[in-house]
Amino acid sequence: MSRFWRLVFWTLSALFAISALIRFGGGLGAATNLSNEFPWGLWIGFDILVGVGLAAGGFVIAATVHIFQIKKYEPLARSVVLTAFLGYLLVIIALMFDIGRPYRIWHPLVMGNPHSVMFEVALCVMLYTMVLALEFSPLVLKRLNLKAPMRFIHAIYLPLVVIGVLLSTLHQSSLGTLFVIVPNKLHPLWYTTLLPVFFFLSAIAAGLAMAIFESFLSYRAFGKRLEQDLLEGISRIIVVLLAVVLVWRAIDLDDRDALHLAFQVTPESVMFWGEMGLGLILPMLLFMLPKIRASHGGLFFAATLTIMGFIINRLNVSVTGFAQSSGVNYVPSLIEWLVTIGIVAFGFALFGLAVQHLDVFGPERVGKSELRIPQLVPTPLRTIPGKPLLGLWALLLIGFVLMGFTMRRPAEGTLAAGADESTGVATAHTPARVPLSLIDGLEFPMAEDSPGVVVFDHDSHVDFDEPECRSCHVSDFAIVHDAAVPSAPMLMEAMDEGRLCGRCHDDETAFGVDECELCHEEE
Amino acid sequence: MTAAILTDLTKCTDCGACVLACQQINGLPAVEQPTKLSDTAWTIVRQSRGVSIRKHCMHCLDPTCASVCPVGALRSTPEGPVVYEESRCIGCRYCMLACPFDVPTYEWHSAHPKVQKCSMCFENRVQYGDQPACTSVCPAGATIFGDRDELIGEAYSRIAAAPDRYVDHIYGLEEAGGTSVMFLSGIPFAALGFATDLDTEPYPRLTWNILSQVPNIVGIGGVTLAGVYWVISRRMTLERLNHGLEVDEEAEASRRIPENGGES
Repeated sequence: MSRFWRLVFWTLSALFAISALIRFGGGLGAATNLSNEFPWGLWIGFDILVGVGLAAGGFVIAATVHIFQIKKYEPLARSVVLTAFLGYLLVIIALMFDIGRPYRIWHPLVMGNPHSVMFEVALCVMLYTMVLALEFSPLVLKRLNLKAPMRFIHAIYLPLVVIGVLLSTLHQSSLGTLFVIVPNKLHPLWYTTLLPVFFFLSAIAAGLAMAIFESFLSYRAFGKRLEQDLLEGISRIIVVLLAVVLVWRAIDLDDRDALHLAFQVTPESVMFWGEMGLGLILPMLLFMLPKIRASHGGLFFAATLTIMGFIINRLNVSVTGFAQSSGVNYVPSLIEWLVTIGIVAFGFALFGLAVQHLDVFGPERVGKSELRIPQLVPTPLRTIPGKPLLGLWALLLIGFVLMGFTMRRPAEGTLAAGADESTGVATAHTPARVPLSLIDGLEFPMAEDSPGVVVFDHDSHVDFDEPECRSCHVSDFAIVHDAAVPSAPMLMEAMDEGRLCGRCHDDETAFGVDECELCHEEE
Repeated sequence: MTAAILTDLTKCTDCGACVLACQQINGLPAVEQPTKLSDTAWTIVRQSRGVSIRKHCMHCLDPTCASVCPVGALRSTPEGPVVYEESRCIGCRYCMLACPFDVPTYEWHSAHPKVQKCSMCFENRVQYGDQPACTSVCPAGATIFGDRDELIGEAYSRIAAAPDRYVDHIYGLEEAGGTSVMFLSGIPFAALGFATDLDTEPYPRLTWNILSQVPNIVGIGGVTLAGVYWVISRRMTLERLNHGLEVDEEAEASRRIPENGGES
């Protein structure tokens, strides 16, 4: 690693550590901009939903290679399984930040509620992380030259893959099911009972795009990468998946009469098109061009778009889609960003370490001399002309800036007021006077030297037009009936000190307590 | 019997006794007029169009919060109130996201945060046959405690006796599948800021419809995947037997084609 990147990494780590201190010392309120109105934010939307989704390549390629036995993709299997394993580890770290009591992260295992989608996700994620560790272990075992465990892993590999595929299918889709319970809160551009299906399909596309993305980055950093024909093969699968998602989502929007919402200019529709236009239709079209598929740079660009579209989608479902119904404007805090960036950086660092020390990309098939590219020095994009690509990147940047601006939401108050008037309901409403039923004739317990019993009446104490319970019912006279009558006699000394009746009966606010017969009944 | 609360908004005089009683019975700070539910304000009285409106947990008959909780920290009691068991809670806040009435709140500034909401005084009063603190102190009789069916009967007879005074709707009778806390009003509920677009079916059904498919997916999916593997393996074995080594060599050769050469 160059000095520059090392500096970046350690700076991020330091900031991450400080953020962790604030988060775990002061609670979520000290670290995040979350609130009772907006209980889930960036950490759920990005760190968890995106993290799990981008790791989906693991089970897809495992199924392709080991169940469908398309052995051509075997070299790919290692890098995606590694990505998936690291991804899930990072998701668990993020989860520790997001849940209020991370030391109880094991509770779902023993207290599970089978009706809870979250329980199902928790269980699957935990089991699948174990499956991934086992699927990934041959790389480590080979390196350590451990033969016996290696044989054991080989023996159970197929059932392992089957279980992994099942667990992934369940929780990738269940992350979408999480939001099926909020039909009134999630914006109609995203709310649908088909969320689990869309989450599943888009995760596969994004997980495969990650394989292309990583191959390109590790080529730049370490001179190691996957073969172009493999990447081209998966780019075709991505096209099909994106096309299916596109058509199905359009049909679903139309079915729910929500399609027109996409063509109104609202912060939601802008984000919707960011996701669908830049992150789905554009990469789909690019992947369809043979020229793009033939170029490493072009594939990388289209894969990056796919991943960004996926990220925007998950953030739309978890954040944008709730902006309207929550009535608050949630923007992640600096610490939320720092933790997220820190976790991502940690992921890159771990992946880099693994590529350097383990045989992640399989035996290198390209001539050694060609691979000797200086580390981290960008090489010009080949095959595909640089200028159009540069233009696309610039367009994307402008798009994101514009999106940021339109996300500024007009004050909710003005909207609500306007809506209220349209209902045309009479605004004046005075409750009909109801006689208050308050306890009267309450006899206070007597002290030994009392000149006579004190009988309390609310009648003479309460202004019935504006009852002020609090003036008396604060500390000495609890309002709840069974505790309202003091059991011990109330002593005049206490009243002279300004307690009990003396709070008000001090000769200023109300008459003083010097004249016995004003309150005590004569015997 | 299902413990329930009926609040008649036409009777409320905004005296704040219910809020005060809630604070005292639960040991919450004596904030004078809380306007938003929070971890220290489990019931509030808010103002809209000159009406004073109590807000607190609706105690759904089939509570969404209890269904989404991964650890069963929130649960519905046989008596009706929906209660929270702090020792289970992991702090995931899914209950807050899912509640159709936006009721549960969080101790945001605690390192060991709890979710807080009205428990209808279940632990300290209702389970011993007492009524909740708030209804016990209401001097106007605006918020009353009783059996849900009886309160529904009472609400209907109030509407029937004074149709001019009330909107012909009991809020909570069907909202979110029915709640134990119900309201009567003289002004349409939508105009008072009540959520009126809620489903009348319980919300947990939405996710249960999907979640209940899990065993099917595992069973059918597992068998299918194993079957696919079996069929493909068999075919590959047969191919090897039929063609001998030729096929293997071809396969090997196709793998060695350098990059950009092999169209898939």
